[in-house]
Amino acid sequence: MNTEALLSYVSSTPLTWLILTISAYKVGVFVYEKMGKNALFQPMIIALLLILPVVIYAKIPFQTYFQSLHFLHFFLGPATVALALPLYKNIAYIKAYFVPITITLFVGGLFAILSAVGILYLFGASHATMLSMTTKSITTPIGIIVAQDIGAIVSLSIGFIAITGLLGVLFGNVVFKWLNIKSDAAKGFSLGLVAHALGTSSAVEISENAAAFAALAMGLSGVLTAILLPIAIHFL
Amino acid sequence: MLKGILTLLVFQFIGECLAKLFTLKIPGAIIGMVFLLLFLILRKKSFHALDNSVFWLLRYLPLFILPSAVGIMTQFDTIANEALAILCSLVVGTFISLCFSAKLMDILISKKEQCHEH
Repeated sequence: MNTEALLSYVSSTPLTWLILTISAYKVGVFVYEKMGKNALFQPMIIALLLILPVVIYAKIPFQTYFQSLHFLHFFLGPATVALALPLYKNIAYIKAYFVPITITLFVGGLFAILSAVGILYLFGASHATMLSMTTKSITTPIGIIVAQDIGAIVSLSIGFIAITGLLGVLFGNVVFKWLNIKSDAAKGFSLGLVAHALGTSSAVEISENAAAFAALAMGLSGVLTAILLPIAIHFL
Repeated sequence: MLKGILTLLVFQFIGECLAKLFTLKIPGAIIGMVFLLLFLILRKKSFHALDNSVFWLLRYLPLFILPSAVGIMTQFDTIANEALAILCSLVVGTFISLCFSAKLMDILISKKEQCHEH
């Protein structure tokens, strides 16, 4: 028996990492559903907690893992293009509140970036961390593509995006009650704008109207950030 | 299904090519997304194969994100060194942004509705 050949095959074939990643994700989905689809038990976060110890314990460099799964990563491009469809399905809602949507999109979107980066700046955080924070409020596939583009640390950006989404879900109803927000459109739009996909999924529980405005905000802010952020950073 | 995937790939390809051709700062996939949006607006409806492919892609989105997310293993030092800054930025930043956007839009909407009543 040639155990050495076996071990070298197992650690180098993409199959190992593909099987590990898909199984971990499946476990994540299972736990998420068992926990009553609580946002805190996101399948991706559970999968990450299962994959990380294995990759670190096996002393596999991140580059080796990433290259084995490069074809999964490839689908982020088509998935970003795919976001045109949910945006298209909700685009008619723009007509109802054109001025409020446009103003909130620009001012609120800018506020979300500047408040987070501003706090990091006050703490004297590193340039790389601040750059990785700029994408915190946009949906993950667009966030990853923009983070790569502006030279941020992609994995940090993903972490910040995921935590922002969770916090948005946690704060949502508290904030709306505290500030006495009346319009479901404003609730949904701010959730989608600040907390992207997770915010949108929690807006579904408010009302159908809130969900539509959340999806609209997520799509519009994703596109707008992807267009304006690389240009803004280029001139800074 | 295949026609839907093909549509997405072609739009991304066009977007990436335009970004290269005009050395644009905008990511190619975003240009592709905007073109697909315009295409759907002009066409006035989607089609079944596209609906299916989009559903499939967005359903498994976390699986496409995971390879990059595992890169967090190279960032434990940064996170440990700047934990407090990152935590405050995320918690306070997200809280005040949500307050700001929700209140702003709520005021703008109620103003607009008052205008309509008068």
